[in-house]
Amino acid sequence: MSVSVSNTLSSLRRMDFWTLVTIATVVILFVLLILPIFSVFLVSFFDGKTGELTLDNYIRLFTKNYYISGFKNTIFVGFMGTLGATLIGVPLAFFTARFRIRGKALISTMAILVLVAPPFIGAYAWIMMFGSNGFITNFFASFGIITPTIYGAHGVILVFTLKFFPFVFLMTQTALNAVNKSFEDAAENLGCNVWQRFFKITLPLVFPAISTGAIICFVLSIADFGTPAILGRGFRTLSTIAYSAYTSELGGTPTMAVTISLVMMGISMLALLAQRHILAKRRYASSLTNPPVVKQLHGWRNIGVHVFCYAVVFVAMAPTLVVVYTSFLKTSGPVFIGGFGLQSYTRVMSDAPEAILNSFMFAFIAVMFIAIFSSLISYLIVRRDNAFSGGIDLMMMVPYLVPGIVMAIGFVTTFRTGWFDLTGTATIIIMIYFIRRLPYGVRSTTTALRQIKPSMEEAAVNLGANPLKAFVQVTLPLILPGLIVGSLMSFITAINELSSTLILYTAGTVTMPVKIYISVLDGEFGLAAALSTILLFSTGICVYVVFRFSENKESSFI
Amino acid sequence: MASVEIVGLKKLYGNVVALSDITLTIESGAFFTLLGPSGCGKTTLLRTIAGFHFQDAGTIHIDGKSIENAPAHKRGVGMVFQDYAVFPHLSVSDNVAFGLKQRKISAVDIKSRVADVLEAVQLSEFAERMPHELSGGQQQRVGLARAIVINPTVLLMDEPLSNLDAKLRVDLRAELRRIQQDLGMTTVYVTHDQEEALAMSDVVCVLHDGIIQQAASPLELYNQPANKFVASFVGGNNFLKVVLKDAEAYLPSAEASLGPVSATQTPIVAAVRPENISIVLGEEKLKKGNVSVPGAINQISFIGREMEVHATTDTGETLKIIARPDVDVLELKAGARVKFIFAKADVILFEDNENGLRLEDGLRSS
Repeated sequence: MSVSVSNTLSSLRRMDFWTLVTIATVVILFVLLILPIFSVFLVSFFDGKTGELTLDNYIRLFTKNYYISGFKNTIFVGFMGTLGATLIGVPLAFFTARFRIRGKALISTMAILVLVAPPFIGAYAWIMMFGSNGFITNFFASFGIITPTIYGAHGVILVFTLKFFPFVFLMTQTALNAVNKSFEDAAENLGCNVWQRFFKITLPLVFPAISTGAIICFVLSIADFGTPAILGRGFRTLSTIAYSAYTSELGGTPTMAVTISLVMMGISMLALLAQRHILAKRRYASSLTNPPVVKQLHGWRNIGVHVFCYAVVFVAMAPTLVVVYTSFLKTSGPVFIGGFGLQSYTRVMSDAPEAILNSFMFAFIAVMFIAIFSSLISYLIVRRDNAFSGGIDLMMMVPYLVPGIVMAIGFVTTFRTGWFDLTGTATIIIMIYFIRRLPYGVRSTTTALRQIKPSMEEAAVNLGANPLKAFVQVTLPLILPGLIVGSLMSFITAINELSSTLILYTAGTVTMPVKIYISVLDGEFGLAAALSTILLFSTGICVYVVFRFSENKESSFI
Repeated sequence: MASVEIVGLKKLYGNVVALSDITLTIESGAFFTLLGPSGCGKTTLLRTIAGFHFQDAGTIHIDGKSIENAPAHKRGVGMVFQDYAVFPHLSVSDNVAFGLKQRKISAVDIKSRVADVLEAVQLSEFAERMPHELSGGQQQRVGLARAIVINPTVLLMDEPLSNLDAKLRVDLRAELRRIQQDLGMTTVYVTHDQEEALAMSDVVCVLHDGIIQQAASPLELYNQPANKFVASFVGGNNFLKVVLKDAEAYLPSAEASLGPVSATQTPIVAAVRPENISIVLGEEKLKKGNVSVPGAINQISFIGREMEVHATTDTGETLKIIARPDVDVLELKAGARVKFIFAKADVILFEDNENGLRLEDGLRSS
């Protein structure tokens, strides 16, 4: 008893800077993460009109046909999109990791550009190609050939496949490069032919990476709002249903929107848990004593592999190229009138300058805070091994899993109370960018910090620097590259964020992705294309900088 | 320089006792080595002195001043790390100046003190290099210079040589000892390498399971190990079964008595150093005061300066012998029968359990 009391006393006496950081972090995570999610959770158990405690919302969701079909559709496109992404991502990874491919860096770069481009750009670029008035549709129509419509489930699946395959590709490629060649040599020595070796040894060894990539595809597909909203037409998924429920419930309590959002989150969590469970028994740590060999192929095999690789990345890049191209077409109002011109950009400057300004400002302010907190939080996670830091580490997974719509509705219900109302302000948007993109910064900084031996800081402390000084003078300079990469990743994802902004924005706080989304719905393709090009260009610059600062280029993006 | 006094120090990790009631005194200016197998608590003790761990009980005084609750950055003890911990983003001279800057020492003084200490560790011409341009040995010299330039009360070294190759380790060992003696700096040195410990130290403190086994000069530690653990950990030992017979210690393997021994309740063993046993082929008259243990060779390794022989006595006990290489012995095959001879005077008796104490009065002179 007396021992434990004196322990508590002495640990209080030793309360230092990091104890304060821990407390601050826990408070921030509680207010910005736990409270909104909990409030969403709570709202789903109340009747929107009477305010009574009820399970009706869930009962309705699983009995009404409208919701059930949305549920099925979500699972269907999520699963098919993931399958598609895996089916093109794995071969691409294998070919680029094991065979000599010309322009390998170009393929990786294009895959990363696909990854960071705003998701809905793909959707509407496909409309511009294959939509009812798309140029490819029209081209074939002039020969009397009717191309299949892009609208509906298969369009959504196509976009998901081409949008999310880079996750599978980049993760599998990294894993393949880390497979000790001795395993494959041993298999061959024991009598496996090339195909048996691939399916019995190589594939199982990289399965954890493939499944991690696939699960990211699945979670993002489930949460994706822009693609089904633009391409779905009559085909509704839970995210579009939640959004329309939210807009129709506006003013009242968004109980139905909230309930749907929670089901979406539940699906993501189940998927993640299932993957974790499967992976639990598959940990293949091995040292890379015998690195894999890159083989030169010959003849038709060589040509075939090249054609496949370039076809995949070019088709995936096509929407982006179409968008850039479209932005330079001559327009009059919303109509393309043939030839090239800069009218779309002039219109951006006259119609939506605040969207550009807001996007940069919100993302920039959020990322400044992300940079500060990432460095502090990663320090807690890596260096302070206690229950709180473990809990914080775990909490950093949550923003990945919570769809933007859920988070945004949570913010509305939490930060619009009798005493204060943050809705409609820039602050609430910056806050949601901060919490949703914080994990990118934390992850990158944590990785950097793990490579720095604790003795570095101990040496500084031993030489008389207090813990804060040791951190600023020794640790921070050493993790700076990781911090910059993490901050840029946060910036890229924050500036491209649509789903949560769409719920939180007002006329004064419109951002580029929101403006693009509205323009697409209004048929203002020129304006949308010009804005998208600006967005792509800004993103591209960040990607370039990440490449410069990062040792492990591709894996910074996944 | 300063003396260190530790009383009743205790450290737990959950339920695991890392340090149990450590009490020791380190004389001012002494080179004090903590020696023990991995997990014995030696690094924990060092890091507790440095302030990187806080003790659960006990006190640490440096020069009579209690420091056990001071934060690590205010203890004024210097530390040299196993992995050097040279700041990779600072040049050699900036690394060395780091601690002086924290102490708000004037730039002029910093410059001259850095120059002096770099001279002492023979790194003057590397002052402006970055750490990655240095070899491991040079980096460790930077670590040492950085620790001693602040005039620490006590210098702590955590296995500073263990990441270096064998030859460099021996060279740097001598250099460390020279610098320490020149400065007269009280030093606490952690190592698992007994040769290093014996070669460098004024006092070697053997730790095992968080308990001090013995703290003594290298010679005393080797010749008069306090218990069976120290006897076997430092230098190695052969342990042979002893039975009590008419108040005499009787060695069944030699079928001989070692001499009278005071009665004891616990079983006892006899310890003989491998280098104190000689191998005899054929018949030879046993000198007075020697015993002869018959047995068979298992394996012989010739390692240049000496040979290492593993054998089994007829009573089934294993023996290790280290001797000058002998052509006749080297030619023996496994299973060859020989006699192992050693002097009764070289035998030390211990209580027969893991940490069994040395029998204080040992064998009474017969």
